[in-house]
Amino acid sequence: MSSQHILREFDKGMECLKADVLLMASLTRQNLERAMRSLLERDIDLARTVIADDSDVDDLERKIDQGGMDILVRFHPVASDLRLVITSMKMAHNLERISDHAVNIAKRAKKICKTSPLEETSLTEPLYTLADKLLRDALTAYTDANAELGESLKTRDKELDRLHKQMIASLSGRLESSAGRSENLLHLIFVARSIERIGDLAVNIGEDAVFLGEARDIRHEHRKPPADPAEGGI
Amino acid sequence: MVSMNTAIQIKNLSFAYNSKQVLHAVSMDIPARQVTAFIGPSGCGKSTLLRCFNRINDRIPGAHLTGGSILVHDIDINRRDIDLQELRRRIGMVFQKYNPFAKSIYDNVAFSLRVAGPTKRDELDDIVENALRSAALWDEVKDRLHASAFGLSGGQQQRLCIARAIANQPEILLMDEPCAALDPQATLKIEELIRELKKQYTIVIVTHNMAQATRCSDQTAFMYLGKLVEFGPTMQIFENPKDPQTEAYITGTFG
Repeated sequence: MSSQHILREFDKGMECLKADVLLMASLTRQNLERAMRSLLERDIDLARTVIADDSDVDDLERKIDQGGMDILVRFHPVASDLRLVITSMKMAHNLERISDHAVNIAKRAKKICKTSPLEETSLTEPLYTLADKLLRDALTAYTDANAELGESLKTRDKELDRLHKQMIASLSGRLESSAGRSENLLHLIFVARSIERIGDLAVNIGEDAVFLGEARDIRHEHRKPPADPAEGGI
Repeated sequence: MVSMNTAIQIKNLSFAYNSKQVLHAVSMDIPARQVTAFIGPSGCGKSTLLRCFNRINDRIPGAHLTGGSILVHDIDINRRDIDLQELRRRIGMVFQKYNPFAKSIYDNVAFSLRVAGPTKRDELDDIVENALRSAALWDEVKDRLHASAFGLSGGQQQRLCIARAIANQPEILLMDEPCAALDPQATLKIEELIRELKKQYTIVIVTHNMAQATRCSDQTAFMYLGKLVEFGPTMQIFENPKDPQTEAYITGTFG
């Protein structure tokens, strides 16, 4: 993948695409980290920053899609080059969704910050820590085309799902006796939901890393028919 | 007045072979120092149009303009007093089938310069070297400049023909299917060369290969039945063509 192409403009286009995806990944992680900090540290200004910065991520999504389309139209890439272009465009989509969830968290943080401190807010922290670890590993898997790491995310996301369910159960239980805090508790439930979705999107990125590195499509594997129908018996 | 950025201005150009009308009122401005590709099905008139630019069609009995004009940097090239040799020096041409002379590599590049008049050996050496370097061929042939051009590979022979054309320091390079006889690697090398050469020359290329048009051109003209259907930036033509005929042709649903 590192060798030079005869057409220099093709190399330039591919480098530009890779750089934009990396930039978008870093902005997205920063938005998520700030959104959570705004919630946990009750920092309204930081929440506003997250909401404003989301447009940079949106712009990059458009730029990556356009750049990818231009490369497809101009150079008709094949094999690993084709997979890089396709997965870059999918990365852009997944990252944009993650940044949208960060905005959602920031908007709810703003509302929560306007009322008295809510002790349950800290319940989101372990969820976020795990989701962020998944996201970091997904991005590493993608940039290194590390299929093994990418493939591991699906299983690890189950722990996030378990924590999420636990938290929802806990918050739902408190809703009944919340006495005026119910709106904020509902906000927290949606924050938890966003974090859980970020875990799912990290899994998607991991799947794309596997496709990028080894050209294997591991999506929806539990629904795939067995390789030999004679042995399978659906 | 033609814009400084226009190298060739075509105004309502109509052209016929005897009574057979092959170009119908084609108008377009070909920008300077860009690569313009002509695409379209066989017989659409794209090669005829290209060959009007250096009046090479004049050699075909019965071929004649039936209307319109072609201005190259504001000069009507169909004027009676145009010096055809000078015109073809300023507007070089590379053909589909590479056609080096039965001479050495050096003499292929030096030939037209010698024809134009006596040149000092040192000057000639410099021009030949520069032309071969510009055609990205120098490193491959510098140790065998006096060997026969026929010993080169197809791709090298085509690059030699490009070197021969640019040795005359033309302003415009016309290329008629320059890669049709080459393998994919040699094709990519010529395409990379075309991207390099556009820094100095205006390039017009006729190609059947739409992928080639997307890879190496800045502007694309789609022609059909002797008419210019659509002309615009290459990416716009291939990502979002305005004319349904262009869309049908490039997506392969034509006819």
